[in-house]
Amino acid sequence: MNGRDATRDVLLGLIPIALLLAIWQGTVSLGLAPPTLLPPPGLVFMRMAQLLATASFNQEILATLFRLFAGFSIAVVLGIAIGLAAAVSPAINAAVRPVVRVLAPLPKVALYPALLLLLGFGHESKITLVAADALFPILLSTYYGASTVEQKLIWSAMAAGTPPREILFKVILPGAAPSILTGCRIGLVISCIVVFLAEMITSTDGLGHVLITAARTFQAVDMFVPLITISLLGLILNGLLQAVRSYLLRGFPEV
Amino acid sequence: MFVSDVEKAASMNLMPSRSDLKAEAAPAAKPTIAMIEIDHVSQVFQTSSRQDHLALSDISLTVDDGAFVSILGPSGCGKSTLLYIVGGFVAPTRGTARMKGNPITGPGPDRGPVFQEFALFPWKSVLGNVMYGPRQQGVKAAEAEAQSRALIEMVGLKGFEHFYPKELSGGMKQRVALARTLAYHPAVLLMDEPFGALDAHTRTRLQNDLLNIWERDRKTVLFVTHSVEEAVFLSDKVVMMSRSPGRIRQIIDIDLPRPRRRTELLLDPRYQKYVVDIERMFDDAGDDELQP
Ligand SMILES: Nc1ncnc2c1ncn2[C@@H]1O[C@H](COP(=O)(O)OP(=O)(O)OP(=O)(O)O)[C@@H](O)[C@H]1O
Ligand SMILES: [Mg+2]
Repeated sequence: MNGRDATRDVLLGLIPIALLLAIWQGTVSLGLAPPTLLPPPGLVFMRMAQLLATASFNQEILATLFRLFAGFSIAVVLGIAIGLAAAVSPAINAAVRPVVRVLAPLPKVALYPALLLLLGFGHESKITLVAADALFPILLSTYYGASTVEQKLIWSAMAAGTPPREILFKVILPGAAPSILTGCRIGLVISCIVVFLAEMITSTDGLGHVLITAARTFQAVDMFVPLITISLLGLILNGLLQAVRSYLLRGFPEV
Repeated sequence: MFVSDVEKAASMNLMPSRSDLKAEAAPAAKPTIAMIEIDHVSQVFQTSSRQDHLALSDISLTVDDGAFVSILGPSGCGKSTLLYIVGGFVAPTRGTARMKGNPITGPGPDRGPVFQEFALFPWKSVLGNVMYGPRQQGVKAAEAEAQSRALIEMVGLKGFEHFYPKELSGGMKQRVALARTLAYHPAVLLMDEPFGALDAHTRTRLQNDLLNIWERDRKTVLFVTHSVEEAVFLSDKVVMMSRSPGRIRQIIDIDLPRPRRRTELLLDPRYQKYVVDIERMFDDAGDDELQP
């Protein structure tokens, strides 16, 4: 993709967002919803700017970001490690496959009450939940990518003198990189959703907690601010991951 | 220009030329050593319907040191499989393959494959791909890079060192694949229809380039192809195979002078006779229909 295409794509991407804001503003202006329940977007963004200048709101953002990063990182490390191991070892594959089949479709939020009892109300329970939810897409895409690395690439490396135990890191891991990074992108989006959800259910801080507190006291404006904040954070994080992806996959066709 | 590049590479000791063969003007009594021996090799594959499929049946073949041997045969007769067995990528069901008298038990840098699908590492640049082998052999980075740059120049890709495979044409990729394999100095080149996917013009150029490299270097080459003309043009020996099960039908010595020039050969009645004779043999066999 060249620079002009990229600019065009960004502009095209802004259109639906602008449309959404227009609908929002229109709904309020036409009196379809009472402004106490649905505040106009201008008010929400002004409030957001105000809050971003306060230390307490930034503390909430940091708490959420910390949980998100910690959970996502654990999921990346475990997902890639287990996925690779299962792809190269039939024994590990046989052991891991049933567990994954049972756990992957399970809604991990169902584990949250148990996690709270086990790990308490602080970071640990939320990080664990984020990791558990982000793990499976990363694990499955790593496994798939590693099992479909072209056989002739492995043969070419072996003929060049690469010992079998080094093939994993010299050929299979880089060969599976496109698939792994796709899994990471899905995992990141899931992490954003789950960290917010967990904070909404039970927490003493974080953006999800801010939203729930505002909702309980009917402060509609304060309710929308954390929502917009987590969306923007998601956008920025996704952009960063995309940049890492483009760099790592610069040799691969069609990124 | 190409030839001088080859000379430069040879003088840099990239491709240790065998002096005994260089002075081959009088081939009085050159002792031939068996580089590769394929000894009663059979290969049975289990298909997904659990039936045994005999892909290679009792193949025996000796390839002398420095010989250029082509394997010619209909699709599915087991040419690739035979090459994979010599490469050590596939273990034969019966029989043994030997390299310099030692049984082949796995892949090794003494046998360098060049695949039809190129199989370049997409995450490495041209230079990175070519440097891979020397680095695996423990050559220091700076030295490996210098050698690789010379090889890239030799295969006519100077200026493309930092391109990625996806940015190259098919013919360029195949040149990189050849350079990557030559970079670790295999004694034997195993080439599986390396030019099969290329257009006629690129194919001819690469054939000429390969012959130039081989005539300086005299590596042993085992070359799989579908093309009768390509086999006759390049080889000392053409091994004709037949299918179902894959067997060697005939081995034909190609007695044409070297160095070979394509334009001269095309007019040479001896060349024409080889091509026509071999094509007739294919027609006679009538095994063009694929059957399991
Ligand atoms: N891994 C495998 N499993 C089962 N059967 C196989 C396998 N590999 C090859 N075969 C069978 O063995 C036979 C020979 O295959 P091979 O690829 O060696 O043929 P080939 O002569 O190289 O054909 P082509 O000229 O089309 O490349 C074919 O009938 C094929 O179906
Ligand atoms: Mg083949």
